[in-house]
Amino acid sequence: MRVVIAEDSVLLREGLVRLLADGGIDTVAAVGDGEALVAAVREHEPDLALVDVRMPPSHTDEGLRAALAARTLRPGLPVLVLSQYVEEHYATELIGRGAAAVGYLLKERVADVAEFLEAVRRVAAGGTVLDPDVVTQLLSRRRQGNAVGSLTARESEVLGLMAQGRSNTAIAGRLGVTEGAVEKHISSIFGKLRLDPAPDDHRRVLAVLAYLGHT
Amino acid sequence: MTAGAMRAGGSLRERVPFGPRGPIGLFLDPLTWRAAVYLLFSVVPGMFWFTALAVAVSVSLGLLIVWVGLPLFLLTILCWRGGAMLERRLMWPAFGISIRDPYRPWPDAGFVRRLTWLPSDPATWKDLGYLLLLFPLGLVEFTLSAVLWSCSIGFTAQPVLVLLGVPTSITPELVIDTVPESIPWMLLGLAFTAGTLYVVRGMGWLHGMLAVALLGPGDEEQVTHLRASRARGVDAAEAERRRIERDLHDGAQQRLLAVAMDLGRAQAKMESDPDEAKELLAQAHAGAKAAIAELRDLARGIYPAILTDRGLDAALSALAARAPVHVSVTVDIDHRPPPAVESIAYFVVAESLTNMAKHSLATEASVRVAKERDHVLVEIYDNGMGGAVASPGGGLAGLADRAATIDGTLTVHSPPGGPTVISARLPYEW
Repeated sequence: MRVVIAEDSVLLREGLVRLLADGGIDTVAAVGDGEALVAAVREHEPDLALVDVRMPPSHTDEGLRAALAARTLRPGLPVLVLSQYVEEHYATELIGRGAAAVGYLLKERVADVAEFLEAVRRVAAGGTVLDPDVVTQLLSRRRQGNAVGSLTARESEVLGLMAQGRSNTAIAGRLGVTEGAVEKHISSIFGKLRLDPAPDDHRRVLAVLAYLGHT
Repeated sequence: MTAGAMRAGGSLRERVPFGPRGPIGLFLDPLTWRAAVYLLFSVVPGMFWFTALAVAVSVSLGLLIVWVGLPLFLLTILCWRGGAMLERRLMWPAFGISIRDPYRPWPDAGFVRRLTWLPSDPATWKDLGYLLLLFPLGLVEFTLSAVLWSCSIGFTAQPVLVLLGVPTSITPELVIDTVPESIPWMLLGLAFTAGTLYVVRGMGWLHGMLAVALLGPGDEEQVTHLRASRARGVDAAEAERRRIERDLHDGAQQRLLAVAMDLGRAQAKMESDPDEAKELLAQAHAGAKAAIAELRDLARGIYPAILTDRGLDAALSALAARAPVHVSVTVDIDHRPPPAVESIAYFVVAESLTNMAKHSLATEASVRVAKERDHVLVEIYDNGMGGAVASPGGGLAGLADRAATIDGTLTVHSPPGGPTVISARLPYEW
């Protein structure tokens, strides 16, 4: 797998390159700002762009805008965005244009090497990865008075894990229940959110988007 | 009389700066003598301005029909403003009152606004009022001072005059020509002197109050000034918070992340590649220590603990010790100013020394903190290449804004080629 990294802190940039190398992932370009990211994506046509939200010159959401620009340039480009803070706005902006092959993680998740590498691979394969903290924040805000409010606590939990891009098996493992139980929860969620049976996996993404108000 | 004045002075002293130790204290207080000199001579500028302004104003108003009158009138205004500014500066040595120039700032644009800049400012007309009043006031002050001082000195010096063989005739029958005769007169003279000291201070106080009312900023200017300085202070505080957030984000947080990443990688390699895992652990260890150092520096940048504990001298010495070149520090203040003043003084020095270390190539620097009247003067000198400016959004400009919130000023003098002198004048009390 070939990735492009955009991260302004030299220390972290080098660390990420080595961390990805440990996982057998090639870094074809490591740049320090948004413009360079777009240029690198154009030049290298990578399998994934790993982007820090906050970069020079404005030190605000430079990286996010660059990631969106890169996705406009190459539709479907897998993008994994790293952020210092949980900002649901950033997350919704990012997946507002389609949740496939998009990831939004807190920067500190890179410390859990195995999980982080797994997230990189999932996004590169076209999956959606949302940080647990982002999901929690979204859930707690959306819980107030709409269709999603009718979900039970366990169903919300399952949906949260789905939003992180986990498979049914992984969710079952995490919650300590059988896969059959997870499936039952999920079909109940689909029912409550009125997501009719459709091309299968896509419903999972739609369920997550229901929370974000993007269905 | 003396004792009576002292007792009566109890409540009066709180309003009038009579000094704490009665006539003796007044006699020893240099302010009394400075006021005495001013009061004796104020009639001179008073007479000058009265005649000069009477002539200049009537001539220029007379010539207003032909266009010459207008520039002449503006010139006259400029002159009397100069006179008022001089008087304002005399108020400190004479009466110990410092008065800020209350003028509106020179307009950025607009011919008409610039033309009416002088006449539309109420301070201009208050200046004129003061200068015209100075003549009658000075005349009274002079007459009173002259009579009182000559009586005081004349009576007190009686024994000396008698010894010198110069008898004094009060009336044709009453002539003082022997020493015993002169003693009661001398005592009377001393009492007179004591009274004169009080009158001098009283007149000085009245004159000072008049000057504050006419030469000082009125409510409107005061409010505008305060509003502007408050806004700049709020902005400076905001900028400071952003800087702290940025420092935390770019510094310690990134370092800790790198540490966590190294540890994560080490954990993953513990089994497969123990040697590299060990190396990663060492790297993480070094990174953690660097993060601690960074956090410590950041905390000190927010507020140095030593400043609270030990005051400016110790805090500035610690700053100087961390500078890359030799910095001599002299702190000469008799008591500690309020925390806000200390803090601004400290950060002015810290920022200046940081700039010096980064840009100036200086080989030596000095920091001087001294008391100047009712201000703390902070001066940082370095022999570097100069060219420092307080650019908007920069550290020095932010400090200038912070200084403005307590009515202080910050000036940067740094010609290309150096040397650089950055000085801050901060009020002792505010």
